[in-house]
Amino acid sequence: MAKKKAVLSIDGEIQINYKWSVGKAGDRFFTELRDHKKIMGTKCRQCGRILVPPRIFCEECFVEDMEWVEVEPRGSLLTFGESYFSTDGKRLKEPWMLGIVRLKGSNGGLIHFIRESRPEDLKIGMPVEAVFKSKPEGNIMDILYFRPANN
Amino acid sequence: MPKRVAIVGVGMQKYEFRKERTVEEMVFDVTRNALEDSHLSKDDIDSVVFGSAVDAFCGINNSDKVAIDASGGLLKPTMRNSTSGSTAISTPILGYTHVASGMHDLVMVICYEKMSENDSAQAVFNTVYDEAYVRPIGLNVPIQCGLEARAYLHKYGITERQMAKVSVKNRGNALSNPYAQLPMKLTVEDVLASPYLSWPVKLLDTSPVTDGARALILASEDVARELTDDPVWIKGVGRGADSVYFMGRKNKDLGRLDYAYLAAKQAYDMAGIRNPMAEIDYAEVYDPFTYKEMQHCEAMGLCPEGGAGRMIDEGISLKEGPLPVNASGGLQGEGNPIGAGMSRLCWCYLQAKGQAGACQVPKDVNNAVANGWGGMYQYNAVMVIGRD
Repeated sequence: MAKKKAVLSIDGEIQINYKWSVGKAGDRFFTELRDHKKIMGTKCRQCGRILVPPRIFCEECFVEDMEWVEVEPRGSLLTFGESYFSTDGKRLKEPWMLGIVRLKGSNGGLIHFIRESRPEDLKIGMPVEAVFKSKPEGNIMDILYFRPANN
Repeated sequence: MPKRVAIVGVGMQKYEFRKERTVEEMVFDVTRNALEDSHLSKDDIDSVVFGSAVDAFCGINNSDKVAIDASGGLLKPTMRNSTSGSTAISTPILGYTHVASGMHDLVMVICYEKMSENDSAQAVFNTVYDEAYVRPIGLNVPIQCGLEARAYLHKYGITERQMAKVSVKNRGNALSNPYAQLPMKLTVEDVLASPYLSWPVKLLDTSPVTDGARALILASEDVARELTDDPVWIKGVGRGADSVYFMGRKNKDLGRLDYAYLAAKQAYDMAGIRNPMAEIDYAEVYDPFTYKEMQHCEAMGLCPEGGAGRMIDEGISLKEGPLPVNASGGLQGEGNPIGAGMSRLCWCYLQAKGQAGACQVPKDVNNAVANGWGGMYQYNAVMVIGRD
């Protein structure tokens, strides 16, 4: 059977650049990360929960009554993944690894790269620690990655 | 008290990759099919609701405006709904509220998605994530789901082999579905041998990039009784949403979908269903990945929590089994045009009407349940339908 002729298509692209405000909470978080290599959270003065990423309000108590606290740059792996494809779906020779890290002493955490380990070395619940960039710029990549740590 | 609402017509079309029809042409196709199915004309329809998940797939913002003329919506009230993948069920819930409130008697519900017109659906998915804390890590859906699947397997002892059986079942079921994009006759070994995208998710655990649309027509009780002697009622609806910051949820366990259990409970409470395992005859659950079908079977109460591995091992969810799930092939076999996953509900309706053709299950279907899931683990929407 002859191949059906495809309908015409037209090429196009949408190229738009953005400048996203990180908000009042993000401003403090990324400034402290850049200037002092500190991970900061906001603590609700009513329920005591410590939020990372920080918010200016507590979504449980529904009040804007928060204080800033420093959070340890370490925590435990809630889960982790290894991917054999890039973000846009291209096949990779070596997998890259991600983990969701619950930060110690907080009620929050971060999702980030996991390095200095092989997938078979990792376990759910194991301790990990942040490794910071030497010349930080004020974004989430100022943390280079998390790696396995001693308890 | 909400008024009773029935489904009185369905509009199907073939799911494909790089469908040649535009969004407008896809919508026209399913609208006409739904009107023919219900013996109605466009002028009978009071209002139209649209559902589509992510406009960046097709590259047309407010793409619902393209659907106005094609849906018979000219100079009528229209509204667009979007809750990521759960658009598939939250859109018919939106249509339901229009009729249950008494505002309209006949509502056209249309879900569509044209995913193939960009050069990377996964790059589009990356733009769904939080721009400051999550997106720079380069997340896409296979990795997101690898993270979640690992937590789920860890919590309940589910195996990759059990996941593979879901793929064999759904792609095999799709062989009977004339609208299916990816019917395949597979063995468990085929699935296990397919390449890993992100452990434990392999290529044959996933669903394809799809273009497609679906339509349903909803009617008030009086109108439904004029149209049919055997109406299929919407018996229960439910929705749940969880925090955008999945890293800090109260339930640290990403393997358990609290928001899906919540949505199912609402829908079952409303439907008066106490024991879904005994009272639900048929299910179409949202299965973009094999383990998602398993999680959703658990959250919908179709098996005990953590029991989805045994459910597939024992053949309970097979087409001929006591509680068939996704006899249409599901998203894996039929195709996965995110918001147009309303097909799950369409197939529940067809099964209840006995009109599912070669996909029809060999049992009476009085009560059926469908769900949709979406976001970065945020949303679930559930609908229970059934006959008197």
